[in-house]
Amino acid sequence: MKQLMLLGAILLMVHIARAQERFTISGTITAQKTGETIIGATIKAGNTGTTSNEYGFFSLTLPAGSYELEISGVGMQTRKLKVVLNKDMSIPVTLQEASATLDSVTVSASRGRSISNPQMGIERLTVHEISNIPVLFGERDILKTIQLLPGIKSAGDGNSGFYVRGGAADQNLILLDEATVYNASHLLGFFSTFNSDAIKDITVYKGGMPAQYGGRLSSVLDIKMNDGNNKEYSVGGGIGLISAKINVEGPIQKDKSSFLVSARRTYADMFLKLSSDSTINDNTLYFYDLNAKLNYIIGEKDRIYLSGYFGRDVLGAGDLFGIDWGNSTATLRWNHLFSNKLFSNTSLIYSNYNYNISIRDGANNFDIFSQIRDWNLKQEFQWYLNSRNNLRFGLHSTYHIIRPGEVRPSGQSSINPLELQRRYAWENALYASNTWQASDRINVTYGLRVNAFSILGEGDYYAVNENGKVTDTFYYGRGDFVKTYINAEPRLAISYQFNATASVKASYVRNVQNLHLLSSSTTTSPTDKWVASTNIIKPEISDQFSLGYYKNLAGNRYELTTEAYYKTMQNQVDYRDGADIFTSDPIETQLLFGKGRAYGLEAQLKKKSGRLTGWISYTLSKTERKIDGINNNEWYNARQDRTHDISVVASYRLNHKWILSANWVFYTGDAVTFPAGKYQIDNETVYYYTERNGHRMPDYHRLDLGATWVFKPRKKYTSELTFSLYNAYGRENAFTINFRDSEDKPGTTEAVRVALFKFIPSVSYNFKF
Amino acid sequence: MIMHKSISFLAILLLGMLAVSCEKVIHVDLNDAEKRLVIEGVVGNQAGTSKVLVSQTKSFYDGNQFAGISGATVSVTDEDGMVTTFTETDAGMYEAPSLVGETGKTYSLLVQLGEQTYTAVSTMQQQAMMDTIYVQDDNLFGETRKVVQVQFTDPPGRGNGYRFVQYVNGRKDKEVFIYSDELIDGNTATISLRYDDDDDNTAIHSGDTIVIDMFCIEDRVYKYWFSLQQSARGNNWSTPANPVTNITGGALGYFSAQTFERKTMVAP
Repeated sequence: MKQLMLLGAILLMVHIARAQERFTISGTITAQKTGETIIGATIKAGNTGTTSNEYGFFSLTLPAGSYELEISGVGMQTRKLKVVLNKDMSIPVTLQEASATLDSVTVSASRGRSISNPQMGIERLTVHEISNIPVLFGERDILKTIQLLPGIKSAGDGNSGFYVRGGAADQNLILLDEATVYNASHLLGFFSTFNSDAIKDITVYKGGMPAQYGGRLSSVLDIKMNDGNNKEYSVGGGIGLISAKINVEGPIQKDKSSFLVSARRTYADMFLKLSSDSTINDNTLYFYDLNAKLNYIIGEKDRIYLSGYFGRDVLGAGDLFGIDWGNSTATLRWNHLFSNKLFSNTSLIYSNYNYNISIRDGANNFDIFSQIRDWNLKQEFQWYLNSRNNLRFGLHSTYHIIRPGEVRPSGQSSINPLELQRRYAWENALYASNTWQASDRINVTYGLRVNAFSILGEGDYYAVNENGKVTDTFYYGRGDFVKTYINAEPRLAISYQFNATASVKASYVRNVQNLHLLSSSTTTSPTDKWVASTNIIKPEISDQFSLGYYKNLAGNRYELTTEAYYKTMQNQVDYRDGADIFTSDPIETQLLFGKGRAYGLEAQLKKKSGRLTGWISYTLSKTERKIDGINNNEWYNARQDRTHDISVVASYRLNHKWILSANWVFYTGDAVTFPAGKYQIDNETVYYYTERNGHRMPDYHRLDLGATWVFKPRKKYTSELTFSLYNAYGRENAFTINFRDSEDKPGTTEAVRVALFKFIPSVSYNFKF
Repeated sequence: MIMHKSISFLAILLLGMLAVSCEKVIHVDLNDAEKRLVIEGVVGNQAGTSKVLVSQTKSFYDGNQFAGISGATVSVTDEDGMVTTFTETDAGMYEAPSLVGETGKTYSLLVQLGEQTYTAVSTMQQQAMMDTIYVQDDNLFGETRKVVQVQFTDPPGRGNGYRFVQYVNGRKDKEVFIYSDELIDGNTATISLRYDDDDDNTAIHSGDTIVIDMFCIEDRVYKYWFSLQQSARGNNWSTPANPVTNITGGALGYFSAQTFERKTMVAP
């Protein structure tokens, strides 16, 4: 009897032990039709789950047993998979595209934001979502679309920058397949450098940035390219009023490797050439983009990718004056699975931005060149430790080389050559974070990023007094360390889930920025200068606290997101009066430093499914600066301070043929400096200024309309014709307000409003086969 | 200067090509500030060119007439201690017709008005003479415009600044032509006096009488004119700000010991 009981006990213990044994299901989620990996797909097993990472990989550790996994991805049909988990399993999962039937109210056209995930301050967009939003000149544009989201503000018509939660235009980290894009716009901001045909995923972090990102204070715009269809060839393209594009992708070895090439070019300059007027037909105005990617699945555990981007803008007035600028980036990546719980990615990244100005004036012939170049190594591990802990840690090392400005005379010239000293910096970061499911209702992501920015020789560094005069010069040899700034950046986020549809989240992040963009004008320009921290220019630091409430309504058809934030910024850079950022004097003699603060409230109501989709967003905010030497050392409104900002975006699927869309934006005017008086110098009117940014531009509002005519697909050939009307009611929004002597009433001065775009129509035709 | 011209060129090029902007005169509410004193002081290298103008700021919506201030005590002391008193010839205009400045000498300005005192210091630069001026046709954006070219030789050594004023048929061009020797140090340079105004009134036509004045100025005065041209001419391109003055005491304006030369020609 005792033996039986012992045996029974042993068997019971073995059974219990077995029952508590945990196994891991892992795999890669791909789209069945194209083989593209799916980022951020959710895999649910009971009341736990996970999401696929940026390479489509997921890993879920569960107690042994039977499960019905529910796997869903944006724009894809949800798939249910029955699994019996009694050992580790590696399963490739494919998802089918959801057919766009009009009645399918459950298929969401947009990525839902998560109730439980502690990540806040995040906006995610798919290319599909942005495809129907009408924009200027009819080009689908990522940068223009994100400016319709709460907390992300446009810098105005004809302006390329954007401001996130009161931050300046250089405080946004823009990544394309992990490579930094220094100037993400073409033609002074009319188009972005991102050809949406090549893009898979767009994620914007406005706050709560996870530890794997660093380098800019206010936001991260992480853009991922498509890998390339590895099942069959596909060609797509389009032609619009301003530009034409083409996209070719396909397998090199079916299911194993694929390539993708996308190209885009404007052809507006061809109209210039048609003119018989020689002062028009030899002007140049064009830009082009080229995106290319190769990827190869080596085996079950390894995959490599090579992606690149090359783009250029060229403007010229005959031979007299020309300017061209552009980015080039390249990324080589290797995914490796050390185990079904340990995913690794190694990346080698190159990024380059430069511009060249060419002047052939007759007697003054010269070129001006400026460049920033990065070489980057990134090593990251994602360790899916257990069902409650998901760790991410890694190293990021970047070598920056800046050539601030070189003047090269050409031929016969009265111009002397000039080369501003090159600047070198080595930036290293180590980071680790864990997403921890503390309980059924509480999720926490806690992490730390430590950034070490080392300024290196060869070069001269200076001491500058409070009047901007150089008082001392220090020479450093090649490879010498001038100074290293070490900063710790804690990243913390917590979510508390009330129930399946509502949660509250809070986060605190510190961000450090060591590259600063100096601009000679109030708008961004391709000739703005990137400058690294020096012994005088300290790293910018921001601390951001945010709190948010999230609710899904009406059976997840509506999402309500509300977030409040408070951000402080240190070591902000501004300019002395009369500063010349192109001076050959040390740049620190032109700069002033101080601090900033920004706070606000954002609210968004989003309808995700049905015939009518879209969102309404509202932002109430303030951003101020206090710089030693400006505005009597008192707080003043930052240029980008804008109190109210409203966007309404709607897309309506009328029938199988037509999709109608509209967006309406309204914002109160930016802070601006207007004259407080005037006087005469040498018989000319000169304006007198007192407070900085004490006035407001007029309110801005605009309605854009769009309509897409989807043609009946023939075999594999699909096509559509998109019409759009930008600024449909022709509001004359002020691009700038200038002051001048009046022509109509001589002897007086007047204010003049310059408005840019009214009633701009466009048509574009897009196809795919 | 060239970079800034390049950038505004770029913007004009682009907007010009897209040709879709429109302008409208509007009324803007402006906060009137307390009046501020303006001093424009010059010591020239020729008799009759040394003048000091003392005026005041006005409200934006007032007329443009010069708001001269009478009753100031104005004097210039040279580095040897010689004091020259300026006499008021008109409201706000103070002159010293016999004062002739010399290259290399430093002059100090003293203006007293009521209880307030304003001082400034400036050194006369070596004069670079205009070798020649001629008119060249500039072809841009579908129009041909005549632009004056000035050739001169910059003395070696950084710190020379140049200001030009252009008169067409007696009417002064609004443009501020201001250059430094940053890129042309020690060279014989040719400067194009390219004006941005697309107003036909100031365009140069065949047969027009053109007068070019050249002033050789020191670094601090170059800085004054550069910052004036960038930030105080009423456009919002650069952050608006008051020009960087070399006058202490809280006045706007500048004081410059400068050379003067005038050349006249008729446009072919």
